[in-house]
Amino acid sequence: MTPDATLPPFVPLLLALASLFPLGLLALTLAFPGVRPRLATLLWLAPLPGLAAAVFAQAATVSLPTPLELGLALDRPGALLLGSAALIWCAAGITAPAWWGEKLRSLPYQAWWLATLAGSMTVFVAADLVTFYLAFSLVSLAGYGLVTRDGTPAALKAGRVYFALAVTGEAFLLSGFVLLSIGAGGETRIAAIVAALPSAPLMAPALVLVLLGLAAKLGLVPLHLWMPPSYGAAPYPAAAVLSGAAVKAGVIGLVRFLPYETPLETLGTALAAAGFFSAFFGVAIGLTQRHPKHVLAYSSISQMGVIAAVAGLSLAAGRAVAPTEIAYYGLHHVFAKGGLFLALAALSMTGNRGRAALFWPVVIVALGIAGLPLTGGALAKLAIKDALGSGWPKTLGSLSAVASTVLMLHFLTLATVVRSRDASAVAPVAIRAAWWGMALASLALPWLLLPAVGGSLASALAPSSLVELGWPILAGVALFALLRLWRNRPSLPPGDILAVIRRGEPWLARLSNGVAAIEGFLTDWTVAGAVLLLLALALAGAML
Amino acid sequence: MSADVIATSPGGGLLVAAIVVPVIGILLLWLVRPRAVEGVALAALLANLGVALAVLRTVTSSDAPVVYLIGGWQPPLGLALRSDGIAAVFMAMAATVLVPVAIYARGAFGEPGERRPMVFWTMLLAITAALNLIFCGQDVFNLYVALELLTFAAVPLVSLDGSRETLKAALRYLVFALAGSVLYLLGVAIIYGAYGTLDLMGLAAIRGPDGALLLAIGLMTAGLAAKTALFPLHLWLPPAHAGAPPAASAVLSALVVKGSFFIALRLWFDLLPPERAVAGSTLLGIFGAAAVIIGSAMALRQARLKLLVAYSTVAQLGYLFLVFPLGLGSGAAPFESTAWTAGALQLMAHAFAKAAMFMAAGLVYEAIGHDRIAEFRGLGRIAPLTVLTMTLACISLMGLPPSGGFSAKWLMLTAALGEGAWWWVLVIAAGGLLAAGYVFRVLVPAFTPPEEPIGRVKPVVVAREAAALALAVIAILIGFLPLAPWPLLAIGRIAAGAP
Repeated sequence: MTPDATLPPFVPLLLALASLFPLGLLALTLAFPGVRPRLATLLWLAPLPGLAAAVFAQAATVSLPTPLELGLALDRPGALLLGSAALIWCAAGITAPAWWGEKLRSLPYQAWWLATLAGSMTVFVAADLVTFYLAFSLVSLAGYGLVTRDGTPAALKAGRVYFALAVTGEAFLLSGFVLLSIGAGGETRIAAIVAALPSAPLMAPALVLVLLGLAAKLGLVPLHLWMPPSYGAAPYPAAAVLSGAAVKAGVIGLVRFLPYETPLETLGTALAAAGFFSAFFGVAIGLTQRHPKHVLAYSSISQMGVIAAVAGLSLAAGRAVAPTEIAYYGLHHVFAKGGLFLALAALSMTGNRGRAALFWPVVIVALGIAGLPLTGGALAKLAIKDALGSGWPKTLGSLSAVASTVLMLHFLTLATVVRSRDASAVAPVAIRAAWWGMALASLALPWLLLPAVGGSLASALAPSSLVELGWPILAGVALFALLRLWRNRPSLPPGDILAVIRRGEPWLARLSNGVAAIEGFLTDWTVAGAVLLLLALALAGAML
Repeated sequence: MSADVIATSPGGGLLVAAIVVPVIGILLLWLVRPRAVEGVALAALLANLGVALAVLRTVTSSDAPVVYLIGGWQPPLGLALRSDGIAAVFMAMAATVLVPVAIYARGAFGEPGERRPMVFWTMLLAITAALNLIFCGQDVFNLYVALELLTFAAVPLVSLDGSRETLKAALRYLVFALAGSVLYLLGVAIIYGAYGTLDLMGLAAIRGPDGALLLAIGLMTAGLAAKTALFPLHLWLPPAHAGAPPAASAVLSALVVKGSFFIALRLWFDLLPPERAVAGSTLLGIFGAAAVIIGSAMALRQARLKLLVAYSTVAQLGYLFLVFPLGLGSGAAPFESTAWTAGALQLMAHAFAKAAMFMAAGLVYEAIGHDRIAEFRGLGRIAPLTVLTMTLACISLMGLPPSGGFSAKWLMLTAALGEGAWWWVLVIAAGGLLAAGYVFRVLVPAFTPPEEPIGRVKPVVVAREAAALALAVIAILIGFLPLAPWPLLAIGRIAAGAP
């Protein structure tokens, strides 16, 4: 490894450890069953090197000697996402032993957890296409194990959809990566590729393919099908890391691969349009859901839509500061969305006692997603204000905050019924503490990090900002009150158009039978013999 | 009229050793006590590995092909053995696959002295000799002899257990392979009639867009495609590869089908005038694409692991044939092209991964007494090393990084996209998705804990598990080679210097 000269030697090491430490633990639990009981209670330690790297190792790089063209690097946007993802993994790791108990001592639980974690950490520090693709694939495919952890038929069904969309996204991503590499003359280092991108041939198809791959991860409509059933099926600690951390592999992709310094109007506008469509589609369908987990999933679809819209508008306008804004918005979403799943875990194990202390933070964090003034979410909304600019994007941004308010209020009404059957039950302190920690992080950390991302405290607290953020909340509350008057609101299954697509399953079976019939025909002796002769003549004929 | 005068190069004797060592091994097999047979075979394969690595070293260090003239006679009168870069690489690859296969196969065929172990070890060494002869043969008739040796050594392996079903599969294989041989031999006869020489270098020097040469190559390629099981000439492969004992399936799928493919590669890249290759290579590419799609779709339907793995071979062989349109259509020197390296990597990655996969399938059978995928729950618990082997092999088969399969896919996509040939990209992407599907079907139940504790049917032999694992690990390690055309593979190619 070649450490950067200006940094203390342990710093690049931290970067390597961020991904190698979880992998090392994975190897440990695979090889030595004896460590599993102990490891079950120590899973929260696994993301700590990632957290340390985010704090100490900004601007560090690690590159392995050739011919291994693999490398790691961390910049500010990467550090924001890496650090926040490490924290939700840590909080979920504290929750996991209390939620799963003895089960967490078994290999499948630990292996899937650590593999997903390793991918989730590495994707933020990957400096070359192959490492990025490896990490992206790892976090996506290992996530299957977290989605299906309960092993119920519904979970397995959700897992199949999850897997299918994950590999589809990866196929897009791989083709896009190959085109990127060709455009930069065989280069695989991401920074060099993006620098050369504006003048590269085939830039547009390369970026479109990469964006399609990322869209599948971000849950942009119509590649969002996997998200609601998966979050619905995943146990709470798993849903927390999937929604908080794993999805951010798509966000870091938006940060890394789009050349924000050069305005790309068509592509940027198209991405923004897709993002805004998801932002409103997510809310509209989310309102038809009956389970708080599904509502949170649709809220993620909507929020990732907002991020995509910000990325698209910035790309169209050539705003070089976009990566930091996107990462900062993403950071808040990590804590808020991941935290709310932990909150549901805590609420589901709690009866009447001590409920208020759990529920009020839920209200604040949930409305924070819509930009409730003075919360961390408000700062996130202010951070993307410049990107939205003025005119229709600004209007759509405010309307999406109104829509998010309505959706979060719908979530809160559903969350009130999540409770233990035992009225005197209280959730284990680990679960409650993890939730409170994440609630605190979502409220406070954006404030602490505000100077680091170039925000100003004064403008965040200015009355004009409070008004700008406040009216969508009030409008949302009013709209929600009106909506409550609508008695027979429609109820859609999680995954909406998935139900329609599933009707095509018999057709797929027929296709497979058709292939088998062709195969049966061709493996007939006489047919195969005739084909052999025809091939010989055709080959000779084709050349003559 | 004839090519430049060539002479035996330093290290040329190694090529003779590559063919003689396995043959001596066969002779010794029949002379020693039955108990020593396995040891002798293993020693011969280790010696073969040493020879192959020495050839590879000589080629890399001298940056030139290794040549041996038998009896010192110049072709076309005499026979030449010649190992260029790609031949040396493939020879080393085959030798590396064979050693773990032999370790795996020890004690797998009943008591020493019986018919089956004798047949297996004899045929394994015969395959070794035949492959080496194919890789460094320079004469189209000589290659025919090697090809026949390969076929006649491979067919008995299919029916080793003597059951009615496997006899039928072996017969199917034999008849189809012989039909291929007839076409190949017809091509050889046409070439001899037209040019009076069978030496590849001599032919390359005098070739032109003659009708005779083109007709001959067309017939020979069709014959070779039948032996390589290129879709739709694959009818013999699934029953033969799924019916053979696991160690034999590993060799058949990883190496034997690659022998005939290698000759096709030589004919097209060394002999065929590039301007005449376009239509024919597109045709081969189309059949390859159909193999990828239909083979993978069939793999997705199989209920038994071995059949699934066999159909996966049909699909993976399809990727190999994409090398023809991608390598010959780019206009650049084919041996320095990305597609050429992609094809070589695909061939090697598939060899290691597929050998590991068939051996793992055999270990699965030993662990739970069947290979029905639907009943794989709990496999991870009772055969963890085997499941690890399958996982690593599958990573390469579905093309996830880091693995040889990924590198091959990356370079193949680079070649296709670089030429703007997006239709091949669609095929590669669709094949990848279908592969992910059949891999998912195998691995997910294997990872799932059992509903009730289950036990092993037979005790595990760690050495056999380790042998399969070693092959899977190599398939992964190939992925750490640089993602660029490999200069080694261009060493000593005939057409590179020809007009």
